Amino acid sequence: MNCPIVPPEKRDLPTAKSKFANWLAFLAATSPRVRKLIGALLVCSVVGFSYRTYFRNWVPLGPQRAVTTVNAKMGVHTRLTDEPEAAKIKRSLEMVREMGAPWIVEYFPWAYYEPRQGHYAWGHPDVVIDHANRQGLTVIARLGYVPEWARPEESHHLYLPEENYEAFGRYAAEFARRYQEKVHYLIIWNEPNLSLEWGFRPVDPAGYVEMLKIVYPMVKAAAPEMQVLAGALAPTLDPPGSEWSMNDLDYLQGMYDAGASGYFDILAIHAYGLGFDADEPAHESVVNFRRAELLRDIMVRNGDGDKTAMITEGGWNDHPRWTRAVRPGQRILNSARAFEIARSEWPWLENLCLWVFRFPWDQKSYQDYYTFVSTDFEPKAIYLEMQQYAQGRFEAP
Amino acid sequence: MRPANLRDLLQPPRLWFVIAALAAVVALGGWLLLRQSGPSVDRTWLQMQERGTWRVGMDPSFPPFETLDAQGAPVGYDVDLARALAAEWGLEAEIVAIGYDSLLDALQVDRVDAVVSAFPFNARMTKDIHYSPPYFEAGVRLVVGTDATLENVEELAGRTVAVEWGSRGDAIARRLQREGIALERLPFQSSQEALDALLAGAGDALLLDGVSLRLAQGEGKPVRAVGPALDADPYVIAVSIKSHQLQAALYDALAALEQAKELELLEDRWFGEMSRGE
Repeated sequence: MNCPIVPPEKRDLPTAKSKFANWLAFLAATSPRVRKLIGALLVCSVVGFSYRTYFRNWVPLGPQRAVTTVNAKMGVHTRLTDEPEAAKIKRSLEMVREMGAPWIVEYFPWAYYEPRQGHYAWGHPDVVIDHANRQGLTVIARLGYVPEWARPEESHHLYLPEENYEAFGRYAAEFARRYQEKVHYLIIWNEPNLSLEWGFRPVDPAGYVEMLKIVYPMVKAAAPEMQVLAGALAPTLDPPGSEWSMNDLDYLQGMYDAGASGYFDILAIHAYGLGFDADEPAHESVVNFRRAELLRDIMVRNGDGDKTAMITEGGWNDHPRWTRAVRPGQRILNSARAFEIARSEWPWLENLCLWVFRFPWDQKSYQDYYTFVSTDFEPKAIYLEMQQYAQGRFEAP
Repeated sequence: MRPANLRDLLQPPRLWFVIAALAAVVALGGWLLLRQSGPSVDRTWLQMQERGTWRVGMDPSFPPFETLDAQGAPVGYDVDLARALAAEWGLEAEIVAIGYDSLLDALQVDRVDAVVSAFPFNARMTKDIHYSPPYFEAGVRLVVGTDATLENVEELAGRTVAVEWGSRGDAIARRLQREGIALERLPFQSSQEALDALLAGAGDALLLDGVSLRLAQGEGKPVRAVGPALDADPYVIAVSIKSHQLQAALYDALAALEQAKELELLEDRWFGEMSRGE
């Protein structure tokens, strides 16, 4: 047989990679021990890589902490939903504790944690809730935000068709079941008296109560001790028939008329002071901090006087050009006074959680002037003053 | 001579010839493509020329930058700035009143051609928005009396610094203390009271935002800023990232106004004249 003669320079020279592969093959063929060793090395590499991937965003929980404060009703609404970094989640919650606020409200969007029906992704809430617990904070979890699979194509992310109330109930129940040892309060939906928050449908208290009637028993079946909060209505003065919203007082009465009483344990309230002092008296025609008292009156009138309420959003803004803002010093005074009102005047109120502790990034709008801590964790003056208040050392200049 | 096969072509030195030939073909193709299409058209700029107006969005609620006069007409520094810029291009400025938080949305849906509204730079929006060079610095400044010798924050140790309680200047004073500068913080309920304290000699310095500082100087208060802004907050003009001709024209027009000292004149008109002797 004639073999073609290939000049030495034209021969396929082995590359470094093929040399290594040949060497491995040679070793493997030589001895079963070596084969086992190579196998073990490969397994170790896979495990090590997986470990590194999983724990890349991991920070230790640290020792169990407790909040020190003179006012156990102090709270803030954190905004960790879009904060992916565990270290920043931990730092935010440490700073809440250091400020002296034992309560936080946090948002756990359904669309984030059940992106496909029946497939849950609890990684992020695990981090938030575990760190909050370790800092000694009590978590009030707000649930909402409809995944694409649970609403019509092209519809708004807050649009939940009635036929999928049960799907939302399953998410709430799964959440309650998973976290019942760590979270004891769930808020069902947010500001349903705004058309925007109701998926741009006409607002409808009876429709919201229908949601509660489905979700509440599902949560209770999953976690009987879980306290369900309803309402969290936006304070508004829109006239009857407005396409944008319904007056919160009318809406709450509408909820009671539709039989809401048996389907929530605590009323969630939003109490913004806007340009008014914390002591400005409540009136139906004014949106101010003490408007919360009018909602309380409606609870009592409807036989729910034994239930409590929680202010899950509220406070003042000190944007230099927003027309409904106050000067920074007024914001501090009003916030301290509001905590004091919650502590000494409103026994029916369990806590006052002010909006908003920190954003993961600057909003570059008036919203930045609701925060206590800047995006880079620099404490604002209001943070340090509320810290003084929690230590019983608050003093206005 | 036998014809070269693929293996031959992939051996040096022919390989280098093949790479060079491919690179030449790609370069030629790219040049032809670009030559045919030309630079993309700036629709905003074209429409401005067709209309003869530059549509400028602003929230007229922030004097002296923008507000409404007794007849409801927009007036202020930004209004005059918009008119001066438009005049550089032979156009008229058409002011469109829009709520502050909707200004960028209005720009992005082409309701306006630009935003001139004491508007801060936002790095997070630079994918869609182009920002002009700053025309006003509103960040917190270290302020002293015109006769004071203090020249930087490091010299604040052992001195008294007036601030508006709760303000950004207050937060910076507390940060400087945490960083080890042993200053005494003197909080007041308003920036005016803090300024008065400085002028009365109760404080050695003041931490004040750029707008309040410029207003005070316009009122003839003998104060000056030392060092750069401690918390930069530049006001800029926002236009669409796609409006490349408008962006270039803005650069040129702002530079021309600055060179002609028109920007200084505008400031003096709306904030009051200040001494620029230093």
